[in-house]
Amino acid sequence: MEPEREQSIAIPQRNESPRPSLKPVTLNKNLHKRRKKKKDLEELKEEVAMDDHKLTLDELSAKYSVDLTMGHSLKDAQKILVLTGPNSLTPIPTIPNWIKFCKQLFGGFSLLLWTGSFLCFLAYGINLHYNEKNEKDNLYVGVVLAVVVLVTGCFSYYQESKSSKIMESFKNMVPQQALVIRDGERMQINVKDVVLGDLVEVKGGDQIPADVRLISAQGCKVDNSCLTGESEPQARCPDCTHENPLETKNIIFFSTNCVEGTARGVVIATGDNTVMGRIASLTSGLTMGQTPIAVEIEHFIHLITAVAVFLGVSFFSLSLILGYGWLDAVIFLIGIIVANVPEGLLATVTVCLTLTAKRMARKNCLVKNLEAVETLGSTSTICSDKTGTLTQNRMTVAHLWFDKTVYEADTSEDHTTGKTFPKSSDTWFYLARIAGLCNRADFKPHQESVPIAKRGTTGDASESALLKFIEQSYNSVNEMRQKNPKVAEIPFNSTNKYQMSIHLLEDNPHAHMLMMKGAPERILDFCSSFLLNGQEYPMDEEMKTDFQNAYLELGGMGERVLGFCFLNLPSNFSKGFQFDTDEINFPMENLCFTGLISMIDPPRTAVPDAVSKCRSAGIKVIMVTGDHPITAKAIAKSVGIISEGNETAEDMAARLNIPVSEVNSRSLKAIVVHGSELKDMVSEELDDILKSYREIVFARTSPQQKLIIVEGCQRLGSIVAVTGDGVNDSPALKKADIGIAMGITGSDVSKQAADMILLDDNFASIVTGVEEGRLIFDNLKKSIAYTLTSNIPEITPFLLFIILSIPLPLGTITILCIDLGTDMVPAISLAYETPESDIMKRLPRNPKTDNLVNHRLIGMAYGQIGMVQALAGFFSYFVILAENGFKPLDLLGIRLYWDDQSLNDLEDSYGQQWTYEQRKVVEYTCHTSFFISIVIVQWADLIICKTRRNSLFKQGMKNKILLFGLFEETILAAILSYTPGMDVALRMYPLKINWWFCAIPYSVLIFIYDESRKLIIRRRPGGWLEKETYY
Amino acid sequence: MWAMLQTLNDEVPKYRDQIPSPGLMVFPKPPSALEYTYSMSKPLTYEKFTEDLKRFLEPYSLEEQKNLTNCPDGAPFKQNGPVYQACQFPVSLLQNCSGMSDTDFGYSKGQPCVLVKMNRIIELMPDGSPQIICDTKDAGIANILTYPDRGLIDLKYFPYYGKKRHVGYRQPLVAVQVIFESNATKKEVTVECKIGGTYNLKTQDDRDKFLGRVVFKVLVST
Repeated sequence: MEPEREQSIAIPQRNESPRPSLKPVTLNKNLHKRRKKKKDLEELKEEVAMDDHKLTLDELSAKYSVDLTMGHSLKDAQKILVLTGPNSLTPIPTIPNWIKFCKQLFGGFSLLLWTGSFLCFLAYGINLHYNEKNEKDNLYVGVVLAVVVLVTGCFSYYQESKSSKIMESFKNMVPQQALVIRDGERMQINVKDVVLGDLVEVKGGDQIPADVRLISAQGCKVDNSCLTGESEPQARCPDCTHENPLETKNIIFFSTNCVEGTARGVVIATGDNTVMGRIASLTSGLTMGQTPIAVEIEHFIHLITAVAVFLGVSFFSLSLILGYGWLDAVIFLIGIIVANVPEGLLATVTVCLTLTAKRMARKNCLVKNLEAVETLGSTSTICSDKTGTLTQNRMTVAHLWFDKTVYEADTSEDHTTGKTFPKSSDTWFYLARIAGLCNRADFKPHQESVPIAKRGTTGDASESALLKFIEQSYNSVNEMRQKNPKVAEIPFNSTNKYQMSIHLLEDNPHAHMLMMKGAPERILDFCSSFLLNGQEYPMDEEMKTDFQNAYLELGGMGERVLGFCFLNLPSNFSKGFQFDTDEINFPMENLCFTGLISMIDPPRTAVPDAVSKCRSAGIKVIMVTGDHPITAKAIAKSVGIISEGNETAEDMAARLNIPVSEVNSRSLKAIVVHGSELKDMVSEELDDILKSYREIVFARTSPQQKLIIVEGCQRLGSIVAVTGDGVNDSPALKKADIGIAMGITGSDVSKQAADMILLDDNFASIVTGVEEGRLIFDNLKKSIAYTLTSNIPEITPFLLFIILSIPLPLGTITILCIDLGTDMVPAISLAYETPESDIMKRLPRNPKTDNLVNHRLIGMAYGQIGMVQALAGFFSYFVILAENGFKPLDLLGIRLYWDDQSLNDLEDSYGQQWTYEQRKVVEYTCHTSFFISIVIVQWADLIICKTRRNSLFKQGMKNKILLFGLFEETILAAILSYTPGMDVALRMYPLKINWWFCAIPYSVLIFIYDESRKLIIRRRPGGWLEKETYY
Repeated sequence: MWAMLQTLNDEVPKYRDQIPSPGLMVFPKPPSALEYTYSMSKPLTYEKFTEDLKRFLEPYSLEEQKNLTNCPDGAPFKQNGPVYQACQFPVSLLQNCSGMSDTDFGYSKGQPCVLVKMNRIIELMPDGSPQIICDTKDAGIANILTYPDRGLIDLKYFPYYGKKRHVGYRQPLVAVQVIFESNATKKEVTVECKIGGTYNLKTQDDRDKFLGRVVFKVLVST
């Protein structure tokens, strides 16, 4: 990504700011270019405007000036190729890996550390140049900072490099060879050379070389899954069946696959102009905004830098006033700024996010981009797909209508509702027979151990649903089919809208029975009688009305309804009769109507719960689907996206019996927006809808519209999560703050455009993801509060060293030991902290006001707890010096003598004289004890950071990692102090046991202090203390 | 903090394990490194040294020490208090470097005196008969003389009982005089002094170059 360039795409006005420019000409040129690019992008978001599918063959021929049998002449083809360019996707200028790596190394937090590192080297350089003294501390810190950045940079680069390969997969989709007809001859040419108007032929197994309008097809089926996410192969024919070019059956699309059959057609779009090409360029042209956590970290860096610079500059002036030289003052300035850099925090944050990512992966949310972990937590709007995410993606029989009664079938995933219907009715017997026999679906072999509902089937979704239903609630369908062999059939097609088959009967092996299923209104036309409780009655008006009502009721629930009927063929059509299904030499009228079965892709069991959880968590769930509004609404209602009692304008109009236009839209909370309405909306109207309705369903939407919806939500300041599975979803996935691809049904491209992959395709997993995301945000706050606190006891020694001229109480190496040693594990362990309250019961955080690090957190950490910690450190420092002979008052102003290497008879408060080395050993012992004091007060800090509001006694100490952290930091401190050789390696010295106890009272003080603070906060919600100290 | 200060003993620090063995130090202390660089013909270049020496030796004058005890030689002067007495250290022990006969301490003649002293440590008790042995590696350039003879430090100056108890304590001194050979062309010499004649005081420490020893340089120009 190139943030600079893309930002200017999004906000081109920026370039018009009156910034003095040295080269106005080039700027204008760039501006123009950028504007053009922006326009292109807007264009791409528009609907695919294509009318080729509606043209007759002659018009088509004329439009592309091509002969529909001979194809282009070679010369023409050549000309067009020169004119339009090759039929390939424009490769996106890929960012070299080293640049990506550099971005990792120099982005955000790293920059702060680099600056620190650079300042260290600078200070070392100045020191080396002007003072011959060999103070290597600054050098070490500089190196350590650089190493920290490098290591974390490599770590995140490794994490990131696993993802973002979008264009590459687009590239791989390009087919290599295409069969075209030119000058009347078939020829195999490179796909790159296919031009507009070319006559192409495709057959099963081919990849489609361009967008093609079919002129003839034989049993052609295409797999559009990589484009639309629909996994069923779809039949293609030369007829225009739909207004929408994406839906019509006479267009096949670039880089989809032809599964079976053959087809011939005219190329109507090539390269980047194809539907796939447009999506590819749209996806790659989209800007990805900064992730919320990146924004937070930036904010944090600003705060920290401000504090560092403020401290640095004020002490710079102070040291000048105190009479230090310029040089010393500059070195102090650098030292103070560097001391403010929390060296370990970058690593801590990275590790915390990684841990949560791992935990989410266990809950079926695979996070590709670490920062997205938190994004999910701040999500305020989820735009969810319907199919597969909210629903089981498995057509299931939902209702039956026979004997003039609607019965409900069990649609739950594991059949636990125990809903049943009168299976003893004879009508059911007929219905089940027809459903099982007049059915071309079959189970795939070797699945005996698999539960029926989960078995794989061949055949279309409705038939499979019937098959499973009959197998489950009636009898083995296979057995039934063997006993009632099929002798003839008319398969379903879209003109007939019915399917018919004739079977020999098991109970009367010489008689045939004709069975039929299909669109209910078609079936009713065939029928002259109906079955009621196993008895045949002539069709009457009453029955027709009942039928209409039932049909409407079931259809109104968004279900796909099929009608069933049969006819016992007369004896002259007994066994041995040759049925001719083309000429229809048998009666096919006056059938007997049996019943209706309706099917739906039912919602997943866990979804309604998840949706209500989202609702209580203040997250708006918007359904965006390509399905019909009725189905969409039905599912939305059943999962609670449209909650019970809320009605749409249409519902209210129907209830009050008034036209839709008269409904007072202000009183409504739910709306179903049709894709065609959305198409004509300007963005303000969309914003208005998004703002004023709480429950929104978008139906019949196209992929581009999904993107528009996402952008609309983002305009309103929401943090948007989007789910999607097809290639067509990838622009929306990429644009969303967090794109969620489906792990099972999702196409590779969508997975690559997404930030997160839902391994089980289940909406409910998103909610657990949100929960984890929110938890990590809270826990990161705690982690940062913990880490920042120890900054104060790290900085103050240096400040007092300057002001009071005392021997340095805490050295650089010991600071590093804290930041990168003892503080690490405890800080990370806070990531394992359990939530304090139900985090799913509060609103999503407001990215503008609810910051990761705010002045209250800094105030608490720096101003209060940090100060107590510093006191603890200084206390033990003074204790050690005093017990060795240097009383506190005698230390004031001693610094110059203390640090003079040639002064080897420095007198202490008792008249004893010390060599330089002897007193330095005492000083380093002080550093060690200051360090250990910090470790001890950090115990208390860790324990108080566990909670932000609750008492520790409520939260408990169940976090085992945290207990380990406490233990680990103590052991580590002891090792650093007592290991032989540490005096040489790190200049840390063993402490007397009683010096460990110096800090313990302060530790207790911190704990009591903070517990009382939290007590007051709990007692007086919204009070002054909460406003000032609750972070 | 205040409570902590109350727990401290005013007479003896709680721990003395950080200074088990004394360092050696020279006097006067040159501004930075231990290099006595001056020019004989320019009194200003050594005036600071002589002034320092005079001031330093003032407490050692007879007048100043008349209230001190004349302790018996050759044995530690152990006391049990509550009143601790300090032994006299007659400045005359320093002979040529006492400043009595030569107020320039030899500086004007190119034979500068440098005082070497052992750091005070409370209740430190050296074994044997401690002395300061000074030597130079630059043989043939200069002779090193020490006063009192052989740089001996009498045991009666030990042990030291601390600033509070041991009022008037005079730290025993050893003077080192560098006498350049008359034919030496370059009057530059490095002198190393260390504690000798005793077993319990360290003189070798890798890191601490002043533990029981001291090295200084004398550079005299005309």
